[in-house]
Amino acid sequence: MNKALAIAKWEFMEKIKSKAIIISFFLTPLIILGFSILPSVFAEKDEATTQAIGIIDNTQNYFQSLNDKLSDYKLEDKQPRYVVVNLFRQNEPIDSLKAEANRNVVKKKIEGYILLSENDKNGIVFEYRSLSLANFNDYKRFEDSFNKIRRVQEFKKANIDTALVSHLLNNVEMNTVKIDEKGKESSADFMSQYFSSFIFIMILFMVIMISGQMLVRSLVEEKSNRLIEIIVSSCKPDAILQGKILGLSGLTLSQIVVWVLIGIAFAGQGMVMFASFQNVFLLFVYFLLGFVLYTAIFVGVGSIVTTEQEAQQITSYLSMITISPLVIMIPAMQNPDSLLIRVFSYIPLTTPGVMILRLNSAPISTLEILATLGILLLSIYLVIKISSKVFRIGILSYGKMPDLKQLFVWLREKE
Amino acid sequence: MLVVQNLRKEYTNTVAIDDITFTLQPGKIFGLIGPNGAGKTTTIRIILNIIKPTSGVVLFDGKPMDRSCQNITGYLPEERGLYKKSRTIDVIVYLASLKNISSHKALQLANDWLAKLDILEAKNKKIEELSKGNQQKIQFITSVIHDPKILILDEPFTGFDPINQQLIKETILSLANAGKIIVLSTHQMDLAEKLCNDIFLINNGKEVCSGKLSEIKRQYGTQSIKIEYQGDATFLNQNKDIAHLDIYQNYAEVQLHDAVNPSLFLRSIVDKIEIKNFSVIEPTLNKIFIDAVKH
Repeated sequence: MNKALAIAKWEFMEKIKSKAIIISFFLTPLIILGFSILPSVFAEKDEATTQAIGIIDNTQNYFQSLNDKLSDYKLEDKQPRYVVVNLFRQNEPIDSLKAEANRNVVKKKIEGYILLSENDKNGIVFEYRSLSLANFNDYKRFEDSFNKIRRVQEFKKANIDTALVSHLLNNVEMNTVKIDEKGKESSADFMSQYFSSFIFIMILFMVIMISGQMLVRSLVEEKSNRLIEIIVSSCKPDAILQGKILGLSGLTLSQIVVWVLIGIAFAGQGMVMFASFQNVFLLFVYFLLGFVLYTAIFVGVGSIVTTEQEAQQITSYLSMITISPLVIMIPAMQNPDSLLIRVFSYIPLTTPGVMILRLNSAPISTLEILATLGILLLSIYLVIKISSKVFRIGILSYGKMPDLKQLFVWLREKE
Repeated sequence: MLVVQNLRKEYTNTVAIDDITFTLQPGKIFGLIGPNGAGKTTTIRIILNIIKPTSGVVLFDGKPMDRSCQNITGYLPEERGLYKKSRTIDVIVYLASLKNISSHKALQLANDWLAKLDILEAKNKKIEELSKGNQQKIQFITSVIHDPKILILDEPFTGFDPINQQLIKETILSLANAGKIIVLSTHQMDLAEKLCNDIFLINNGKEVCSGKLSEIKRQYGTQSIKIEYQGDATFLNQNKDIAHLDIYQNYAEVQLHDAVNPSLFLRSIVDKIEIKNFSVIEPTLNKIFIDAVKH
């Protein structure tokens, strides 16, 4: 055990001094933040200049109100967001109006135009036509404005009090409150749950990938310079395995501590993601067990490769499995008790990810928690057993990677 | 005393070594010699408990060598390399800690060894900043820092200039004088010849010859004779005692048949030619090696 500790200490100290780890300490949180926040930031970014919007109101009912309403929207510099152009002309067929408007759109004289007409069934056809249909904030504004105007008009026709109408037209937003098993309330909504799960699985993925690669690379180095022979002649392969896993786990833990500190420093309230979990402790248990499981696999796999390239390939494929729960993330959060999700909870490689998701969305029975933890622990035990057998022989073989048949022979070889 | 008994190691399709037996005494340097792929590394790995033999045992002081012996062995592998990005002193202390030497003690020992091998300045440098020769010295230190009872050196001299070769040679000799069991595996026959008391020649996984170097030489060499003479030596061509003959300007090299006594042979030719010098030549280890492996 002493020697395992010595190896753990060495792995920890040497890695923590390396440039790669410093980069990952500080770069990874940036990448995760980037992936989770930037898309929505960009998506919400609006056109910053005034746009000319045409309106062809064939019904001749809505132009004025729509014009007023759209003029209310302002840019950040208080300039109007939209300048409305009336493209409707009496006694001209709608097709020629449309053709002319289309030409103006193509010439970029207007950004696009709104077409209002009545259909046979006395309903309203409401269209927006433009070269680019990407800016969804614009549509939403047009749609909201039109519907409000239409409702107000219809209510007026029915002689309903306009004050009451405008009062009724204001949406009441719904708040969501999550109740945990002890009856405690918290105000987490779906989006914050989604993001905190997403961030946690991403972190799990990143640490597994980063440390897996470090582990395999250091094994490849030790193999290629034959240091591994000196180490193997000094201590049991099991001690080497334990030492390496221990050292890396320590490294990962300190990495997470650094990330949490960075998080608190930069976004004190952003740490809500922890609060949205009912059981932070369990979360870390799954996280850590997941990490150990993957690391144990990496040790076995890493011992059979000889070159950096092989190492790279294998580590990237394996780490992909960790993020596979992201695929079923939304169904898992909407319906945490579905059969599919349950099945994935019991497959060791996806257990950590799926359980992190489920912990975040609804109470899980103690029985299920015990069962999944049991499965994880058992598979860690088995994987370490298998890995150390493969490791024992793998670290001393060079050249071509063994095929499955050969691996099987190794597994059956007695110590 | 280290006893290697009937070692055999099989892999799926090949036999790496077969029936290897030898004994090593403390204070003696044992030369494990053979061409590439002969089975030297396999033998070494088994002694070091890195791999298990298919059959046979290795005994140290009468008890089987197992993992409990790991702290008393030192190993310098043929292919060298250390953690390039790490500091010299850290690497030495780490590898010593794997031999159960406390870091406090290891620091002290490392200083002594660095001074002894004249590379104190390397102490706080990164391994990759050192010259190849100095890296080799560091690796040598890591194999001896824990004062092992059994020291296995695989090609310890490669990569050293003559001065440092001398330094390492002296260090190895002093370790032998201190009573260590030393296995020296090398291709450099001249050095093996100078250093080793006992030789084990291995080829294709099997023993070719073994024993005291002087005995092996006698065994292989008593029938080679060098004669310096004046006059015409062509009559030697007809001599039935001679297996092989090389006549040069002033001397001849003669290989006698196995049954012929060199002294009687001298007596038989002394009247026919004026002999200036007559000597039995010892074959070099190099010659023995080449002959043995070729046959």
